[in-house]
Amino acid sequence: MQKKHVAIIGGGIAGLEAANVLAKSGYKITVFDTTEKMGGHVAKWDLLFPNMRKGEEVLTALLEQLPDSVHLCPDTTIVDIEQFNDYYVIHSNHNENYQADVVLITGGFDAFDARRKEEYGYGIYDNVITSVELEDKLKVHNFVTAQKNTPKRVAMIHCVGSRDEKVCNNYCSRVCCITAVKQAIEIKKASPETEVFCFYMDMRMFGRHFEELYREAQEVYGVQFIRGRLSEATENKDKAIIVKTEDTLLGKPIKMTVDLMVLMVGMELSKTLVPLVEKMELEVGDDRFITPFDEQLFPNNTMKKGVFVAGTCTGPKNITETLNDAKSASLAILNYFDQLSNKN
Amino acid sequence: MKIEGKRRLWQDYQKEVANDKFFYVRSCIRQTFFPGSERAFIKIIGTELEREINEDPAHTSCTGIGYHADIVPFETTQTVIARQFSLMTEAGLENYVPSCITSFGLYTEILETWEHHPLIEEQIRENLYKATKRTFNKPKNLAHASDVIFKFRYEIAAKAKYQLVDVHTGRPLRVVEHIGCHYSRMFPHKGIGGAEYPYVLAGMIEAWGGEVIDYPERRHCCGFGFRQYLVQANRGYSVACSQKKFESMQPYEPDMIITNCPGCPMFLDRWQYVIGEMEKVAYGPNGQMIPVFTYEEVAGLVLGYDPWELGLQMHQVNCEPVLDKMGISYDLDKKYKGSKGEDMGVPVLPEFLKCC
Amino acid sequence: MGKLFERIAKDIRLEEGLNSCINCGTCSAICPAAEFYDYEPRSIVEIVQSKDDKKIEALLSSDTIWYCGECMSCKTRCPRGNTPGLIIMALRTTSQEMGYFVNSEKGRQQLLLKRIIGHNILETGYCVHNKAVVPALHPEQGPVWEWGYQNMQTVFERMGANLDGEGTGALRKIPQEALDELKTIFEVTGGNKRFELIESFSEQAALERGLEFGEGLDNEYVAELISANNEHHCKL
Repeated sequence: MQKKHVAIIGGGIAGLEAANVLAKSGYKITVFDTTEKMGGHVAKWDLLFPNMRKGEEVLTALLEQLPDSVHLCPDTTIVDIEQFNDYYVIHSNHNENYQADVVLITGGFDAFDARRKEEYGYGIYDNVITSVELEDKLKVHNFVTAQKNTPKRVAMIHCVGSRDEKVCNNYCSRVCCITAVKQAIEIKKASPETEVFCFYMDMRMFGRHFEELYREAQEVYGVQFIRGRLSEATENKDKAIIVKTEDTLLGKPIKMTVDLMVLMVGMELSKTLVPLVEKMELEVGDDRFITPFDEQLFPNNTMKKGVFVAGTCTGPKNITETLNDAKSASLAILNYFDQLSNKN
Repeated sequence: MKIEGKRRLWQDYQKEVANDKFFYVRSCIRQTFFPGSERAFIKIIGTELEREINEDPAHTSCTGIGYHADIVPFETTQTVIARQFSLMTEAGLENYVPSCITSFGLYTEILETWEHHPLIEEQIRENLYKATKRTFNKPKNLAHASDVIFKFRYEIAAKAKYQLVDVHTGRPLRVVEHIGCHYSRMFPHKGIGGAEYPYVLAGMIEAWGGEVIDYPERRHCCGFGFRQYLVQANRGYSVACSQKKFESMQPYEPDMIITNCPGCPMFLDRWQYVIGEMEKVAYGPNGQMIPVFTYEEVAGLVLGYDPWELGLQMHQVNCEPVLDKMGISYDLDKKYKGSKGEDMGVPVLPEFLKCC
Repeated sequence: MGKLFERIAKDIRLEEGLNSCINCGTCSAICPAAEFYDYEPRSIVEIVQSKDDKKIEALLSSDTIWYCGECMSCKTRCPRGNTPGLIIMALRTTSQEMGYFVNSEKGRQQLLLKRIIGHNILETGYCVHNKAVVPALHPEQGPVWEWGYQNMQTVFERMGANLDGEGTGALRKIPQEALDELKTIFEVTGGNKRFELIESFSEQAALERGLEFGEGLDNEYVAELISANNEHHCKL
């Protein structure tokens, strides 16, 4: 009997993990990704919270364990997925068609485009960068301002593009708080003299070791935390950034000049998935992430038979949660195939 | 600062402004402090650009200052404004242009309120009918007078005799543009360029040769604050707000300030004088202050209108340094004379402020 | 939920101005009044959101609600779509309608605003009229304004105004029929009622404070309103 084919849309860690499990269970796997390299966002991260291990370790492990039978298709955008009675035809932007028995969507997230937060000056002022850009600076050991100086003072701004009606993202992106704590510690390690201020509304230390890392940031590294959301950022003549917030715990507005401002950008459903979601009429929530069949009991199924979802395309997650979700989706797919063969 | 970043944002906030047949309503504060500007607006739109601009003598204040001083109930203000719309409807027009920015903000707020709460609109229609037997249509297009000048900025540039350039050095004049709070803060999409980087004045400045200055307190209110100025005991708030702005813009050495609100040009002008007298501080070079203009005054200067016809003699911070830079000739003898050459003496000189 | 909150909640400005507040502070960060006065828009919203009548009553009687300059900067930043400036307007309305405004130094100033701006509107059709900007009462307007004021007719004519004239033009005399319509609108819509309330509560307050109360600006009670400042309004 011909092997059943699972098409995985998205070659980040969710897609790679599911590919691994399903290939080892004996299925034919194709993984599509729009970028030239597999690995998604994790390929960009330097160190991972909370244990500060290297992101590339995780990625390398996932890639190495992948059986050779898995067919990888980088540089490929899926433009349409047509549903037939018991199979799917996948159309790529290279005018190629693939027939699959099951589709697993692991297309992930985009980081919020910080230009939409106009009052923060991203894309206008040189010394306003995102957490993604900071991660890169730390990775290549180039922690400098636009003027190539070591910043004496850095502001990290929580909730950029999250918990914000103005940019139509009312939800919390979950991992930005802990990322800020991690990056603040990395900055202090790279440059102990640099003052670091985190401007937050809440400290969402939800995971194991997170709260302890927050405490370490304060006690060992001297990172300062001010409870007040950034209201406005402007630039002075020296290209330093002037930050306006309120210290809500003291009940006083404050203005602070910093050399570098880092925006902790949230997550949104990947733009590459939007046309697919529309064409396939998948359900999305008000937060525009894909809604699975049942949030508690069937978090990886969709309303469409044979279409599954895993990873951050159903909502913000950290790496452990994403990998678990990919395993969970794999199990759901295995069960699905079992049911199909029991019918026959 | 990357100007391309701003340009991208400006694209997101485009606004439709009517092309002709305007129903123009005046501003209480501008009629008091800048009547020359309102005259210039009518001349530019009606004569220079040959568009139809109508004014009905029966129109009144929109009561915006009263509303924002919280003495006039919202229902009353809405009904007064309904009456204004009734005058527009009587004139057979549908493009409404207020001269005042608080008015513009208020008209926008009221139209939005009626949009979301039709029962309120119904109530106001009843009120108006009961009080005056009037009925009205809502305007098809609502634009502030500065939006209209913005729309025609290239046509004005084409007729320009002068530019916002220092003719002695060829350097574009450094211009601070100050936008009235009620222009686009409440409804960013109703303002050209939105709330954070409004483009309505920046566009004029660029079209007429000047350079737009960004400085940290660019968005800060000038401090009118309605009751915060109108009552003497509160005036400290007002001058403190303007002082914040002056201190922030000073390092950028602006040649001039342009604003599109009625109160702002008056405050930014007078508070420089007050701060000068009180603290012996000047924000321009050589003990000078920074001249403040309305956008019609600038449009008029660019088109070659006489500065005293525009009303520049009534500014406390004298504008001659900018006129000199632009290469505009003017007759100082005529500055404080009447239109028939009447001699009225000259104002007393302040102690500190170098002017006149 | 108390009766006082219920009353304020009927004001459309509260409906539009308050969704829910998470105390993020973006409004207070940007508020000009919070820079200079002992004031935070966030605290006002917090109190109103609590629906606690006692706290709200104290607020209505305090100087606090009168510090706002209604610039609406708060609206541009709030991530929950609130507008503290609109909430302030609803509070100020209630404070005047119920008489609490006379309990605070800043609140009592409403009588002054009614007698100047309110008077201007009904008598001239303008909120602000050049004749009312008397140099002696407005030294900040400067010597050029003073000169212009002393030579009003000629100066304003030069600038193209039609001072007190018929027809169109700046500072024209607004036709009597228009003023009559304005007056009827004020009567029908509760504008006059508001003015009367401001007067009667103020008169009562003058009695209680033992100050002479009369018409216009030339009496003990009103004179105090113009310049009284207890110097306790600013942050330390």
